[in-house]
Amino acid sequence: MAQLFPRWANVAARAILLALLCLVVGVPLGLMAWVRSPNVTSLGAPVSQPVPFDHVVHAHDLQINCEYCHATVMRTAQASLPSTQTCMPCHSDTWRKSAAFAPVRVSLARGTPVQWNRVNALPDFVYFNHSIHVAKGVGCETCHGRIDQMHQVRQAQPLTMGWCVSCHRDPTPILRPVDQVTTMGWRPPVSQAVLGKQLLVMNHVKAPTDCTTCHR
Amino acid sequence: MNDRVLLHGNAGDAALTDSLLAPLWRTPSLWWMLFVVSCAGTVLFVFSIYWTIAKGIGTWGNNIPVAWAFAITDFVWWIGIGHAGTFISAFLLLLNQKWRGSVNRVAEAMTIFALVNAAMFPLLHLGRPWFFYWLAPYPATMGVWPNFKSSLPWDVAAVTTYFTVSLLFWYMGLVPDLASARDRAVSRARKLAYGIFALGWRGSGYQWQRYRIAYVLLAALATPLVISVHSVVSLDFAIAQLPGWHSTIFPPYFVVGAIYSGLAMVLMLLIPLRRAFHFEDVITEAHLDRIAKLMLAMGLMLAYSYAMETFMAWYSGDHFERYTYLFSRPFGPYAVLYWIMTALNVLTPNIFWSRRLRRSTPALFIASFGILIGMWLERFAIIVTSLNRDFLPSSWHFYAPSWVDFGLLAGSIGLFGMLFLLFIRYVPTVALSEVKRLRLELANEAAGEVAGA
Amino acid sequence: MTDYAALFTSAQEMDEVSRRSFLKLLGASMALAGVDGCTRMPAEKILQYVEQPPEVTPGVASHYATAFSMDGYATGLVVDSHEGRPTKIEGNPLHPASLGASTAQQQASLLQLYDPDRGRRIVQDGRASSWDAWAAEWTPSVARSRVGSRGEGLHLLLEPTSSPTVASLLDKLRGMYPGMGVYFYSPAGPATMPGGASLAQYDLSAADVIVCFDADPLATGPMSLAYARQFADGRRHPATRMNRLYVAEPAYTCTGMAADDRLRCRPAVVQGLLERVYASVSHGGASGAGAVSSGFGDGADAWLTNVLADIESHRGRVVVIAGDRLGPQGQALAAAINGAIGATGSLVWTTPSPLLGAGDAGSNLAKLKEALDANAVSSLVCIGGNAVYRSPGSLRLGDGIRRVAHSTYVGLHADETSQASHWYVPLAHYLESWGDARAYDGTLSVVQPLVQPLFGARQEVEVLSALAGEAAADPFTVVRSNWQSAGHAASDDAWSEVLRKGVLEGSAYPRGASGRSDSVASAVGRTGGPGLRPVEDHPDGIDVIFAADARVHDGRFSNTAWLQELPDPITKLTWGNAGLLSPATARRLGVATGDVVAIERAGGSMRIPVIVSPGHADNVLALSFGYGRAGAESVARGIGANAYEIWPAVGTFVATDATVRSAGAHRQLAITQSHWSMDARDPAQSLSLAEYQRKTPAPARKRQLSLYQPDAPNGVAAQQWAMTIDLGNCIGCSACVVACQAENNIPVVGPDDVRKSREMHWLRIDRYLDGAENDPAVSLQPMLCQQCEKAPCEYVCPVGAATHSADGLNEMVYNRCVGTRFCSNNCPYKVRRFNWFDYNAELAETERMAKNPDVTVRERGVMEKCTFCVQRIREAEISSQVDGRALRGSEVVTACAQACPTRAIVFGSLTDPGSEVVTSRADARAYQVLEELGTEPRVQYLARIRNARAAEEQA
Repeated sequence: MAQLFPRWANVAARAILLALLCLVVGVPLGLMAWVRSPNVTSLGAPVSQPVPFDHVVHAHDLQINCEYCHATVMRTAQASLPSTQTCMPCHSDTWRKSAAFAPVRVSLARGTPVQWNRVNALPDFVYFNHSIHVAKGVGCETCHGRIDQMHQVRQAQPLTMGWCVSCHRDPTPILRPVDQVTTMGWRPPVSQAVLGKQLLVMNHVKAPTDCTTCHR
Repeated sequence: MNDRVLLHGNAGDAALTDSLLAPLWRTPSLWWMLFVVSCAGTVLFVFSIYWTIAKGIGTWGNNIPVAWAFAITDFVWWIGIGHAGTFISAFLLLLNQKWRGSVNRVAEAMTIFALVNAAMFPLLHLGRPWFFYWLAPYPATMGVWPNFKSSLPWDVAAVTTYFTVSLLFWYMGLVPDLASARDRAVSRARKLAYGIFALGWRGSGYQWQRYRIAYVLLAALATPLVISVHSVVSLDFAIAQLPGWHSTIFPPYFVVGAIYSGLAMVLMLLIPLRRAFHFEDVITEAHLDRIAKLMLAMGLMLAYSYAMETFMAWYSGDHFERYTYLFSRPFGPYAVLYWIMTALNVLTPNIFWSRRLRRSTPALFIASFGILIGMWLERFAIIVTSLNRDFLPSSWHFYAPSWVDFGLLAGSIGLFGMLFLLFIRYVPTVALSEVKRLRLELANEAAGEVAGA
Repeated sequence: MTDYAALFTSAQEMDEVSRRSFLKLLGASMALAGVDGCTRMPAEKILQYVEQPPEVTPGVASHYATAFSMDGYATGLVVDSHEGRPTKIEGNPLHPASLGASTAQQQASLLQLYDPDRGRRIVQDGRASSWDAWAAEWTPSVARSRVGSRGEGLHLLLEPTSSPTVASLLDKLRGMYPGMGVYFYSPAGPATMPGGASLAQYDLSAADVIVCFDADPLATGPMSLAYARQFADGRRHPATRMNRLYVAEPAYTCTGMAADDRLRCRPAVVQGLLERVYASVSHGGASGAGAVSSGFGDGADAWLTNVLADIESHRGRVVVIAGDRLGPQGQALAAAINGAIGATGSLVWTTPSPLLGAGDAGSNLAKLKEALDANAVSSLVCIGGNAVYRSPGSLRLGDGIRRVAHSTYVGLHADETSQASHWYVPLAHYLESWGDARAYDGTLSVVQPLVQPLFGARQEVEVLSALAGEAAADPFTVVRSNWQSAGHAASDDAWSEVLRKGVLEGSAYPRGASGRSDSVASAVGRTGGPGLRPVEDHPDGIDVIFAADARVHDGRFSNTAWLQELPDPITKLTWGNAGLLSPATARRLGVATGDVVAIERAGGSMRIPVIVSPGHADNVLALSFGYGRAGAESVARGIGANAYEIWPAVGTFVATDATVRSAGAHRQLAITQSHWSMDARDPAQSLSLAEYQRKTPAPARKRQLSLYQPDAPNGVAAQQWAMTIDLGNCIGCSACVVACQAENNIPVVGPDDVRKSREMHWLRIDRYLDGAENDPAVSLQPMLCQQCEKAPCEYVCPVGAATHSADGLNEMVYNRCVGTRFCSNNCPYKVRRFNWFDYNAELAETERMAKNPDVTVRERGVMEKCTFCVQRIREAEISSQVDGRALRGSEVVTACAQACPTRAIVFGSLTDPGSEVVTSRADARAYQVLEELGTEPRVQYLARIRNARAAEEQA
């Protein structure tokens, strides 16, 4: 009887089997790679703001301390945004007329807040507390990167749970003296390996990994 | 001696092939009727699933304390049914039971379809099914793993393994028959379809030799799974400290019950099939007889398990165990179901002491039906009567299923039926190669006897 | 105060943490919480304050003292506020009527503030109108024309109030309208001494024996929190001091459940027994010798004998309390008895009533009714109270008000009374209002608002000022100036001190001697008592008794879902009321729980499902007010039956002329508990005082034998959190249940799901009845997550959503939970709850504002349970760490412990030697529930001591 399949069917069959195998292995691997990519973690992409506020000017050139604007960072869970009033001491005349500054003027005049765009977002079921991290010697830079070099602020770390717990499991590599937390580009005077261990003890750093540390 | 005959008539290979492949080429109207019914059931299934996912588990009857009920009952029931296939094909192959060849194809197909259903219920049962993959061990960005102390991740592993192996085993056995189907097919489309899945089988001695080795190896691999899967499933209950669950007898007890219900389902499928397509010559009284005997054995073992767990509850002196086994189940709010269950599972198989009834298809059919119901009720009794009255009387509460619960149960049966109907329509229902081999062996035996005389 | 109105108009005004509570977001974000649950947030706006209010620190709660008034008496509260959203109510420790505790209703009044059904606009005859229009019609210049020269056509109906500011405003109005009629009305409220001008006050802490005649001092009335604390102090350490509580009552009350010796009897018998006691003590001392015959049967005889014997043997340390149902005569009798047995002065005294118009018969509702019938009312203003619904049906008050040409109802909701009035003006909630009020003992407090009126509602002070022609008056100024003119806290420092503390110190009324007032003699002469025929007149007749409901009171809370879903302390009934019957009477009527009975009186008729209640008096049907509402409130409408329909008369709480028969219908009631016996499992243990004294403290329990090494985590952290619950001091008031609900964002599931046993309360109060159906031993047991050290829920969770923390907490991680519910199956205490549906989906925006921003609002399909208020623990830990000091275990208190009036719940760290939670574990009463399971719970219970005299004699 006539041949049902041409010779190349053999090759095709083998190829298909191989392809199936690759699919079974590849799809999960692909997904795992994808969730670690910036598309998901939104790492790195600069976020535009209604007011072209420039951290390089304020934090680097003018050397304004982080705390001047993010006033509650040492005391409460949130670093908190500065109120419009906070801008006024300096900006009552500088830039007052510029179009870029308009939203702030409007805010002040109308008493309506400026609508900033969030850069570092955590899920609602995560209760992050700034004050305790700062108090234990975790620098702003550690999580937020070199803010003083960002014209437009961007997310500097993946902010995944794995990233969080990596420090909580061993904080020594990132600990710094409490008086240095707001310093940008701080370098440990001695080897971090040594310093970290000392600070761990000195500051009674617990860095608990209980679930309720962050999830309540 | 003809009551032991596994193959009636003296049809040649060609004739056998023709008669056994017949269902592929012609469709009785009965098939269409059943198909429509089962499709309706499937639609109900799909709708119930949609309703559950859209609205939440609250659409079921479950509550606190009865957080598990119908869905888990269905899951255990289906996965139990899924045991007979591999048992018959793998176990009996290794035990070199000749008769298995004529029925293993149906049994295996049934296993696959039962598992498809079984696998669905645990997923549906999750409060947030879209996170099902958290039960699988994989390197997550959360830096956490599943909890391997719990039986549930193992459950997932066991069921998926069992499903994969069963599927391979089934397909493996199909290859030669698909080839014959390819050669007998008239339409080119069918030729191609069967041809592709026959993977270029020619039936050469070389191929047969490799095939037999692989088949036996796979059987050896599948056999332990028959034991492991339902043992793991039983741990979903046994690792809990709930009175009525907290029992070391569970693994063997569950495996026995599983094979029991599986055999019942095999019979319920074989008997009409055999009649509809006139397979009486190939699937003889001898086959039914043997399955019935197996069921009798399993039934007695199950009865022993019932007796044992009840005795242990009393013997333990534990207040809670005693309450559950000696009061809550036999006299509590679900007592009626409990007694029906006991009657169906313990009494029914004893009719198979009678040789006549072992060979009477009506008796077998009705008994199997009763046993399937009984086994469903057994799982219901274990799950619900343990939960609805556990430790603190203040939290005791009655459970009543909702229409969605019934929809899922009936719907899953519909889906099962649909898949099985499609199977007998498009796949060789009886293992041709096995039957022909059987015929050859029988012929040789006969020849041997002649020579010996 | 910042401008909160803006804050209401858009949630956007709140900063990030507050916005957590708007949990549509959580639902959404977690739904897209794609692979790995770490969520990619939708592009999100964040907003800053334009001008940072000095008192607001973003993310940190601030606390304000204010006062809650019910039936005119104030209770001091402290309210937590997050960025201007009141989120939690606590008692004010400095206030004599709170002592730091709070009631279920006070807790739930928070949700009432955010009730989306509250009136939102001023309405005239169904058309939306304005404040100015209303004020224009009611300003004196206009109103005078229709109310006559002396204003005799003008009538005011207020809720009873003790507010000095309201008093001065009324005086001002009387100046303009000398003939004006002013009436005060609420259906319930504590009975006064005869004449109504003075109140009996008690100090239970010093009493060895407390005898209650149909009285519920521990859970009903304006001083219940204080009395409950005093009662508990008298039995907190039974080894050293143990008081005894006698109760004679027709239907169970919380006090009755706490009683050591309780007698169930019909109201007339209660009255009779009270008179017997008076008779025997007034003639030179109780006849302590031998048995007494009361004429009310053996049970009563035994009870009376014991009471008299104890009065004899504890002279001067016995307090007799008569209940509200016995009316002023009952109060007088009790006062007379207390006088005779030397309780007066030390344990019992009287004070003048702080209520306006107290003792003035002219200010009764009846008088208003007369005026209405005489068509003497041309203008009527009702402020609060919903009198049309809350007055006896036979009074037909609604018809009367409909006939009034010019009528205004000022109320929280558009309800039955607003339907009968021409004008409706939304009334501001007390958390939105300036005002002042006096406590039961006269202590003066300021009511200060936490938010500006959410729905543009008007405050009582504003309305009264407007009637006086000052529609633009600023309530704050009115109150403040009134205080200054009255000489209270004149200086600004003193004023801010009052605002800070919540009370004006030393403002309580001086103690007056309670001696036998003239009316006592007259009261004593009587046989029947108020409106009661002696039992023998109608042996088989059924007494119908009335009381304010334990949850929704007189109906003022009937639209507050937290209270609708709160199980009744006695019946565990939610979402409705029922008629309570004794088993015998139920059999006689041929009804069972859920069957509907028809009740007919000359005055009216009603149908209501019954509940058969063991320990209930025979031939008594107990009804509660507050249900069967017909107002515009969506939650309340159609729930339960309206007992006001057959209520005989104001001040009369017993009807002896009713006929009760089965109506042949059945309702499936939403009762949270279906099995009432402990079934020999003894989870809630109790023992007699003698047994306790014989019992030596159990030696420090050795751990259960285990195949495994003891878990490492326990014991590594500085704190090891634990709780002890004293069953001897749990009176079942259920304040803890609502406090927990408010603190932990626990959803309401509604009657259908309660019937399916799906209520979400993390903390429930189990009630067991064992023994004879007529005299069962009642055991109450607050049941919550036992925080097991060897937790059965943890090892069965496939994804590790149930884990154990280093400080001994059994953690529930909502965002990791996939909802297999295995943990619930394996929990022997069945304290885990499952989100069967998305219970937060339908919440109104205002209701979302009530959510606690420090607690995740749970999504559909996840488990939840008591966390020991872990948010409070972590908060305390972090703040102590930031301050660089060590945390003391006593710094953290859970919501339930904080609300508990008897301090039956004690929380703390086991590493805190000498703390109450540690010492309590050494008590011989300490035990673990289901200890044999080896779960090693961190919650321990102290067995209840039943201190009956009978048991004492046996010993």
